Amino acid sequence: MDFEDEIFSDGLPKVYYKHDDQGRYVLETDAPWAEKVTCALIIAGNRANLEEIRKAVLAGQKSPLCYYMELRQMDPVMLAKAAGIATFRVKRHLRPEIFAKLKPSVLDRYSKALRIPLEELKTVPNR
Amino acid sequence: MATELKANGKPFVHYHAAHCESGVTSALLRDKGMDISEPMVFGIGSGIFFGYLPFMKMTGLPISTFRAAPGSIFHKTAKRLGAEFVTKKFRNPQKGMDELKQVLKTGQIVGMTTNMYWLPYLSERFRWNFLGHNIIALRETDGVFRISDSMLEHPIDCPVADLERARFAPGPANPHGYMYYLKSVNPRPDLRNASIKGMKSTCFMMLNIPMPIFGVRGMRFLAKKVIKSPDKLGFDEACRQLVGLIRWVEEVGTGGGGFRYMYAAFLQEAAQLFGSGELADLSKEMNAIGDSWRAFSVTAARIVKQRNKEKETFAKAGGLMLICAGREENFFKDLGKVVGKLKT
Repeated sequence: MDFEDEIFSDGLPKVYYKHDDQGRYVLETDAPWAEKVTCALIIAGNRANLEEIRKAVLAGQKSPLCYYMELRQMDPVMLAKAAGIATFRVKRHLRPEIFAKLKPSVLDRYSKALRIPLEELKTVPNR
Repeated sequence: MATELKANGKPFVHYHAAHCESGVTSALLRDKGMDISEPMVFGIGSGIFFGYLPFMKMTGLPISTFRAAPGSIFHKTAKRLGAEFVTKKFRNPQKGMDELKQVLKTGQIVGMTTNMYWLPYLSERFRWNFLGHNIIALRETDGVFRISDSMLEHPIDCPVADLERARFAPGPANPHGYMYYLKSVNPRPDLRNASIKGMKSTCFMMLNIPMPIFGVRGMRFLAKKVIKSPDKLGFDEACRQLVGLIRWVEEVGTGGGGFRYMYAAFLQEAAQLFGSGELADLSKEMNAIGDSWRAFSVTAARIVKQRNKEKETFAKAGGLMLICAGREENFFKDLGKVVGKLKT
């Protein structure tokens, strides 16, 4: 099965208005080809990006915060608003050496904003 | 179609709809006893629109929206049909959830604006930070809300914590727990007057907003940007931007092309309502415009997939968009003339 069909066979079909032969509008559940392609591209892109960041974290170039931010599809500005921390501080915390020195109170804010348990936030899954 | 019980024991009929907000609005109206279809709501609420917002970004990509701002369809439809309604926003999430529970207990069903990413029942392809998804809460039992999401076939369960997060998702365009419900509806609504108002305001929004990023001018602005993008940004970045654009054309809500088909369905119903042949012709034209948006998205998807590189270029995609813009301009000018002649 193609990746495109795989992500679209999740049992949650959307409906689309289509013109039938008699000139009436009916609801159909076939997704257009372009939608399938873009969805597949975006999801594949997100997954590849996430995998790259995970490897960078394991190599010590980025902090685990960066991984979880990407997992939740956020950017530093959004995360800053969610956690109530200034954007420039969030951007600093994406560096591993600074992230390692963070106080528990700050980590707690991140774990609430990202919905990640506190212990998990310090590491990334090692697959 | 599925039947579900509300908090006061009365039945609620769930319909599968193409677009979340018009689906929710028509479900709320139907629940109050007004028989109205989804396309009709979409037309009366002036749902069709175009806007390109390069300064507002979602996950790094600019927004190009094909429908009116979230919340406006419900607001306009309810006003034009003479219904009484309540809308509320909250600063405090706890207050917002308490208020929701209280209103549900009175037997009302409540529409809410949520962030799609945090709704747990959706699958991966829906889950991104889109902050304008509308759903209906039916009842609450033991910390679980029964949700009627008009995008899905059946009603579904959602835990309180997840719903709270979805309603109060921080970030740009935070919905602030926006909720709305109908108090009463006009037993004899004036559909003809409401449709005329809806069509007139749609014509204004598409043609006359004095900013180059809205309506038909916005389409031209974006088309020119698409044509220039590979030289300006490089092929990879241009493709990334184009994928973001196709997502808006095909997926969000029911997609730009899909909204055009829905509007055509509305015009068909309006043609029957007024007995006007001109509206029926315009409905066919709108259907054709929907087809040309779909042709644009197919071309764009082929560019990204790098099929037939000589033929499928950014210039061709931009050209198709310019054609769409030209056709829509003529269409809305004609619609404006036809609407002027209609009598309430």
